[in-house]
Amino acid sequence: MILLDRVTKKYKKKSGVAIERINLHVESKEFVVIVGPSGAGKSTLLKLLTREEKPTSGKIVVGGIDYERLRDKDIPYLRRKIGVVFQDFKLLPNRTVFENVAFALEIVGMGNKEIKHTVPKVLDIVGLKGKGQSYPIELSGGERQRVAIARAIVRQPKILIADEPTGNLDPKHAWDVIRVLEKINKYGTTVILTTHNKEIVDKLKRRVVTIKDGKVVGDKARSVYS
Amino acid sequence: MAGMTARQINTTRRIIKTGFLNLFRNAWLTIAATAVMIVALTIIAIAVVLNVTANNAIDELARDLKASIYLVDDVSDTERNLLQSRILALDFVESIDYITQDQARVDLAGDFQNDDDILQALALAGNDVLPASLRITVSDLERMPEIGDFAAREENAVFIDSVSLGQTDAQATIDKAASAQTFINTASIVAALTLSAVSIMIIFNTIRMAIYTRRDEIRIMKLIGATPSYIRGPFLVEASLYGVFAGIISTVGVYSLIYSLGGQVSNQKEFAQTYAFFTETGIVTVMLASLILLGILIGAVSSMLAMEKYLKLKHW
Repeated sequence: MILLDRVTKKYKKKSGVAIERINLHVESKEFVVIVGPSGAGKSTLLKLLTREEKPTSGKIVVGGIDYERLRDKDIPYLRRKIGVVFQDFKLLPNRTVFENVAFALEIVGMGNKEIKHTVPKVLDIVGLKGKGQSYPIELSGGERQRVAIARAIVRQPKILIADEPTGNLDPKHAWDVIRVLEKINKYGTTVILTTHNKEIVDKLKRRVVTIKDGKVVGDKARSVYS
Repeated sequence: MAGMTARQINTTRRIIKTGFLNLFRNAWLTIAATAVMIVALTIIAIAVVLNVTANNAIDELARDLKASIYLVDDVSDTERNLLQSRILALDFVESIDYITQDQARVDLAGDFQNDDDILQALALAGNDVLPASLRITVSDLERMPEIGDFAAREENAVFIDSVSLGQTDAQATIDKAASAQTFINTASIVAALTLSAVSIMIIFNTIRMAIYTRRDEIRIMKLIGATPSYIRGPFLVEASLYGVFAGIISTVGVYSLIYSLGGQVSNQKEFAQTYAFFTETGIVTVMLASLILLGILIGAVSSMLAMEKYLKLKHW
């Protein structure tokens, strides 16, 4: 599903290398946790997958799409196949929960009737049934993140990328979010999660890829934070 | 909408709807941008109207301006025909009317029908007092004096008593109208260009601010897979709508001027044709459509410039 072959990313302005010769292979329907200290290169890795960044060298293939052959005009269509969740939620404050989730369907041209039918189902999956008319400001951090997850999965992507989704949450809400991600993975979506929350990593018992100074220093199945 | 899929129709509808919503969300910016464009479009339209008016008035005045060649009394028909053919050979001459002595007398009596002294004098003088003449219409007023040169030539001069090169006061009026027209043209082109530039800058800035206030939304749109045209569309719609509003309002403004001021001078022959022309339904429609299109063009160009600079859609 995801293949990174000797991928290196250097930033022009910053000194040093953000990511150096990373090899990674993620199977379809896998749940992979990427751990590492701040500045290790986790976010750069995810930005390479969503094509916010281009690698300096190396090969990236996601869902059969070779990024080297990807033209700029194809990028929106690539991003429609990948759901993304951010640490800071990135919700639109002046739109309701329903509208925030519907936004992802509107941009692909789905009809209003279909949107009205689909969004409540997804809000139900993330445990936000009945919250459709609330505004993000009326929700707790955990609930906001679940709105963001709903928006990311509403188009049923094959891959869900979650960049520190629990970073701004207290432990209880963090677990609510993790449970939702596990549920989505169970339905068949490949999940890539970055975190530096040891407790979550240890309890999840999933494949853990450790990154340090831009390099993969550990890759173990059903592992704990090391 | 033929050939569009349901999704494309939904997308187009949403782009237009968002454009309208943005227009009302930024009400003050909308008013400012539209107001400047109204002034620019009104000035452009007034320039066009004044230009056409001046052109028609000059044509109308020039129609009265004719050269007359007065013939000596004993010219035979053959000689007159020869002279006429020589005049017609001049490339700036449009037509010639032959005015007989009788006709000249009737014309004069007609011109002075309220002046009893002249009519009495004319009656006393008899039929032969006025000479026959050739009245010449020229296509180029500037070359009118060449008729004098023509008459002075030896082979022609034998048939010619005298030459009159039109009424001098009419020529002076035409000169004034022509210089006014030149001034109107220059001033209106300068004003229209300046105001178009100002409205482009203001709309550019309006769209820049709209992009700035919606920067988070735009970033999210990019990240969740919106196409560049979906992101650009609403800004383009918004800026084009300024053009539509400005086009409609400036047409209403210009036509209130035409009906109020034009109505007062429409019975003068210099302006009658112009007034009738501009108040024709077809021309009103063309004026409205042109101003709306021009407004849309100004709006679209400025929003595209702003998007090119601030949306950064080339870097995904």
